[in-house]
Amino acid sequence: MYRSLVLIALLSASTLALAQRGKPAAVGFPDAPGKEVLLEKCFQCHTPGMWMDQRQERRAWESTLYRMIGRGALWTEDEIKAMADYLGKVYAK
Amino acid sequence: MRELVARYLSHSISRRAFLKGMTGAGVSLVAAKEILESLVPVAHAQAQGAIEGVKVVEGSGGLCFAEQLIASGVKYVFGNSASEDAHFYEALVDRPQLKYILTPHEGPGAAMAAGYVKASGEPTIVMQAAAVGLVNAMGQMFNAYKEQTPLVFYSYRTDQSGRAGRDGFEEVANQEQLVQPLTKYSWLARRPEMIPETVRRAFKAAWTPPHGPTYCSWHSDFNDAQVKTEVILQSKVDPRMRVRPNPAEVERAAKLLVEARMPLMIVGDEIYGAKAMAKAVKLAELLGMPVTQARQMFVNFPEGHPLWVGPPPAARLDSLDYPKNPDVVINVGNKLQHNSPAPIIGRGAKFIDLRIDSGSIGNVMLTEVPLVADVAHGLDDLTAAVSQLLTGTLRNKIRTRASEVKAFHDKAATLRNLVMQNPDWNRAPMLADRVTREVAQFADKDAIIVHEAGSVNLHGFDFNPAGGRELFFYYGAHLGSGVGTAAGVKLARPNRQVICLVGDGSFIFGPTALWNMARLELPVITVVYNNHAYSGPHSRVVEKVPGGRMIQTGHFFHDYLGSPDMNMALIAKGLGVEGEVANSPDELRDALLRARKAAADGKPYLIDAQVARVGVAWADKPWTPTSKS
Repeated sequence: MYRSLVLIALLSASTLALAQRGKPAAVGFPDAPGKEVLLEKCFQCHTPGMWMDQRQERRAWESTLYRMIGRGALWTEDEIKAMADYLGKVYAK
Repeated sequence: MRELVARYLSHSISRRAFLKGMTGAGVSLVAAKEILESLVPVAHAQAQGAIEGVKVVEGSGGLCFAEQLIASGVKYVFGNSASEDAHFYEALVDRPQLKYILTPHEGPGAAMAAGYVKASGEPTIVMQAAAVGLVNAMGQMFNAYKEQTPLVFYSYRTDQSGRAGRDGFEEVANQEQLVQPLTKYSWLARRPEMIPETVRRAFKAAWTPPHGPTYCSWHSDFNDAQVKTEVILQSKVDPRMRVRPNPAEVERAAKLLVEARMPLMIVGDEIYGAKAMAKAVKLAELLGMPVTQARQMFVNFPEGHPLWVGPPPAARLDSLDYPKNPDVVINVGNKLQHNSPAPIIGRGAKFIDLRIDSGSIGNVMLTEVPLVADVAHGLDDLTAAVSQLLTGTLRNKIRTRASEVKAFHDKAATLRNLVMQNPDWNRAPMLADRVTREVAQFADKDAIIVHEAGSVNLHGFDFNPAGGRELFFYYGAHLGSGVGTAAGVKLARPNRQVICLVGDGSFIFGPTALWNMARLELPVITVVYNNHAYSGPHSRVVEKVPGGRMIQTGHFFHDYLGSPDMNMALIAKGLGVEGEVANSPDELRDALLRARKAAADGKPYLIDAQVARVGVAWADKPWTPTSKS
């Protein structure tokens, strides 16, 4: 549904930068299975600064990713699984 | 019936409207015609020697004000107590067709008026006491300005004309100038007999497209003065501005659209206002053109239609999953709220802008074809022009494109439902998404959803203003509008289920309209997403200062509303509305059933839905100050 003003404000500055630069620099994202899909999907709206401070278990990351569906992300279960695997490993608590 | 007779005799409705109103009230057409005929001599006697639509009125300034409101088509007046409007109140006693709704705070009162205007399409006025009341209403005036709502505001100047300029009680210099950046028109009547003219002009300016709020004012003693002045039907001064687009530009737009590899339509609120959704659907179908919508108040295209591709997740078209790189984009009636330096529509696409709001056309976007028009006329003309250009080959291409768009639409609909696969779906306190889905499953098929939960994105409602569910979102973002808006919507559409979804932060800015719901028996169901926090400001701070001291220490000064937790159900009870706290999905479901029963009995109901704080850097025990810290 509709993007809230909150989300717009949250995303606007960062997404402009990404739009202007093209593909973002993947600093802080070591190579591991799931990295490519993560960079492709999450950076559609976010900059790394939004969530690089977050450390949580895989299940919590999976919950976070499913919440993004509620905010308009169109991801398959396989894509969510791949991203949750990656984040649960690289950004574990 | 008494009201209809009064309105007919005061020339504020036509014969046809009188008959329609009477038959709507259950009177047979034959009987209604007989009543009408019996009134004709009275109406003629009143009008003898007068110019049609013009009535000479003698009385207090307040009485003339009331008479002009009736002549301007106003049925409801939303106001907060103002002693210098005494003669206006006196005039109301014998004018039952003008109903005064007392609102205990000017902000939610103005929101209620705005909700009524949006849902009814009928004029109304918001009244406040002098500058002191006006400034309370100005938050909603800001919203009306941003949302282009035709809402008229009035407040007197407490300073009388004989003592103005002495810094007296409630006096501020140049009061009418306070509102100038937020209104299309603001004016101080210079003489008591100019009250009706000033009011008429305020309504004319507000209701001439593009719509917007206006403000009128006068010295308080003008209300007490005895005057003789003209009251004129609004239809006699209405420019009835329904503009057709330039035919040459229509031809250019049609050519671009039929030759496009992948055209894309953005829809906006001018479509809702012009009741032109079916016309937008027709043009989209003619071209097999995908349709999206950037932030607006209303849904302007049926979300279940196979050409609907959903809104852009990050507000710009390049964040759409589909279509990527449209080569021609047509905007129909969307103001396009740009919130970043990057334009919503990338520079690569040729852009057609069809809107009545010519003032904002070309401000940001490179505009290949400007079509300044009422969107209903514009869509008609464009559809006709496109039809003439279509060939067999083009129709085949369009059919193929439409199939491709439908395939995406179907896939997206399936993926959106994955939200329910969240491993925390059944948790308590609840996920906001769970609350949303429970309400979506509960809502009537034609429910109206008033949405002021800033951090919540709705899903699962399948909005379709053509007979299905409707959305009243907010665009102006002066918070505290949701509850008032819902009350106004219910007043305008009493036969529709109205559900107000509001965040706890927004709710606490404007709960007093609950009292109006109770008093007027407006059975709105209000659901508060209560996570005891400002989620949006929390996320934005984390984004701006990643890894900072706030995150390291857990000291967020600006976002936690708990300790003590606010109980919105108890607040509702204090305002005369029954309610309860729901901690879990099961409790929410049961609470919704009780809300439905209350609504069936004509009673509003509030559910304080306990929502989890989720996301980055929320502490299990959020930091709170003490008097000693």
